[in-house]
Amino acid sequence: MKKLLTGVAGATIMMAALGTSVAKADDIIVGFATASSGFMQAYDKPAQDAAMIRIDEINKAGGLLGKQIKTVAADTKTDRAEGAKAGLEVIDKGASLVVVSCDYDFGSPAALAAEAAGKVSFFLCAESIKAGIQGVGPHSFSASVLAAVQGATMAEWAYNKKKARNFYRLLDTWTEYNKGICDGFDWMMPKLKDAKLVGQDTFKNEDTSIAAQITRIKSLPQQPDAIMLCSMMPGVVSAVKQIRAAGIKSMILNGSGVSGGYWLNATPDLSDFYVPDQGSVYGDDPNPAVNEFNKKYKAATGGDPSSQYVYPGYVMIDVWAKAVERAKTTDADAVVKELEKMKDEKTLFGPRTFTDKIHHQNRGRYLITEIKNGKPGVVDEWTISEPIPVEYLVKK
Amino acid sequence: MTALLQILFDALSLGSLYALGAIGIALIFGVMRLVNFAHGDYISFCVFALLWPSIDAAAIVFAGQLPAYLLIPIILATGACLSMLSEVLVFRRFRNANPATMMIASFALGFVIKYTLLMLFSSRPKSIDLWSELALPVEILDARIPLLQVITIIITVLILAALVAFLKRTRFGLEMRAAAENFTMARMLGVRANAVILLAFAISGMLAASIGLILVTQTGTVDIQMGSSVMLVAFIATVIGGLGSLPGAVVAGFLIGGISVLMQVILPLEVRPFRDAFVYGAVIVVLIWRPNGLFAPRSAKQRV
Repeated sequence: MKKLLTGVAGATIMMAALGTSVAKADDIIVGFATASSGFMQAYDKPAQDAAMIRIDEINKAGGLLGKQIKTVAADTKTDRAEGAKAGLEVIDKGASLVVVSCDYDFGSPAALAAEAAGKVSFFLCAESIKAGIQGVGPHSFSASVLAAVQGATMAEWAYNKKKARNFYRLLDTWTEYNKGICDGFDWMMPKLKDAKLVGQDTFKNEDTSIAAQITRIKSLPQQPDAIMLCSMMPGVVSAVKQIRAAGIKSMILNGSGVSGGYWLNATPDLSDFYVPDQGSVYGDDPNPAVNEFNKKYKAATGGDPSSQYVYPGYVMIDVWAKAVERAKTTDADAVVKELEKMKDEKTLFGPRTFTDKIHHQNRGRYLITEIKNGKPGVVDEWTISEPIPVEYLVKK
Repeated sequence: MTALLQILFDALSLGSLYALGAIGIALIFGVMRLVNFAHGDYISFCVFALLWPSIDAAAIVFAGQLPAYLLIPIILATGACLSMLSEVLVFRRFRNANPATMMIASFALGFVIKYTLLMLFSSRPKSIDLWSELALPVEILDARIPLLQVITIIITVLILAALVAFLKRTRFGLEMRAAAENFTMARMLGVRANAVILLAFAISGMLAASIGLILVTQTGTVDIQMGSSVMLVAFIATVIGGLGSLPGAVVAGFLIGGISVLMQVILPLEVRPFRDAFVYGAVIVVLIWRPNGLFAPRSAKQRV
């Protein structure tokens, strides 16, 4: 086995050497080890399209360090083992930046391959603390904002802007992402003076009926002001539909997993429903540049962005290119050093901060989108008063 | 009292779905000893039949816009056709194969259906608003029950009654029961094997379609995975009910629904995420107590 591994490693190194010699020396290469087939494809493709737009912009403006950015891609086929291979393949083709799948579990094999090769890797939109130093290594980053920040943002915003005091916590135990939202909510709750958790419950994303959970909410002496719903597609739609059908009128707070209006036809009259968004896909972003981007995206892909998860792809290329520009090289260690110097670095979709402790956002500006009578619209924005401590995130 | 009534309705409506799924599986098992694991994918397929194929995030509702009196027969027919087609194209060729081979074939067929849907519609779950007025609650003895729950229960009872009448009162029903009892003997006595099996597949497909319609009305979601979880529970229900026993499948379906709701109510918060472990723990206990299931049909016992 060991011999085989050495053999494989040897072959890889040889191929890598060949790969770099084939690529033109005056190109900078970005490698996408993402899913172009299987179920992750639907999640990777939009963010990747956004990344392409930023690459195109940079190339049109003269390139990076005077060189053009070229892209190479390998399909992970939504398979962890294939993911590692795809990572190696793009490295072989000379990638200085390895872009990996949106989800930690599906992206990490390629990211680990990049880490082993000493390359910078970026998760397209993973929102777990593990997508970065903690789960991959010192050269790995995520372009999105932690799930916990979403829960904390919604709690603090609802407390301050909606005067919510009695909260109910409903957790869908399916994924770490869902748990992350509720972790952030749990961290924020004790900081909100006289805010009270009046009850909590769990369900499973695949539950066809959450009748028992609803009965529990309804038997509270008083309806909660807000329900923190830590869930994601597709179960969340079913849960929301059933909550509202049962006549529960409390405001519902969510993570960004429900971002985008594409599912709203399932709940035509939904109101009092709040979603944190990094940018608005509804055409009403306070920053006109975002609306400009949406137009570009539509021109490039033929459709509007379906959810905010398009945007981290753009942010990723943006911050990485800035770091390369400042480091004056694509060398991984130098680029990481520049990335770690970024503090509230302006991007189209909120500021980004990286440190040598965390390559993810434990604080971030979120637009608050309200769904009113089934129509989404940005009503506010919020940044949590303090970052969620890394120790808390790691412990969870 | 109100709370109890609420729990009862919760349990009955969840149990109804499982019971419908379990009969669909038990019917096929009865006539040809096949555990059809593609059944869950029939459910998904019927639900996707409401939409126009597209890989956009937003669903393009197509058949779903038809009025109910057209839509319901069309979707039921879709389920029946798909199910019969799978019998004609796939399972018929395995008629004399051993049950394990047939089961593997059903798995494979399920994958084919699932990945066809994936190709046409992408993996993203889609949303559709079907008969949302049914979600409004009605008041029954002070308990507020969503109309859909009541309808689900009524429909299940009606389907069951119709099925019993069909099996007990019609020639086809008689043949089907005979086939379930002893297929070779039934054939020798003049039961038309292909017709009976095809009919069983058609009914099973229509049951899958009705589950699909109930699921999509309740959840507003269309997802390639959506049939699988119901299928799993329904399969377990047919096993505890006694493989091949229709009443057993129904009772066990309601039983699992009931236990599941009850566990959600009585378990303390810390262990609630492990609810299903308790539910399936109960399943194991039942199987230890009655290894052949609650209502093991005579045909399931070894014949000497």
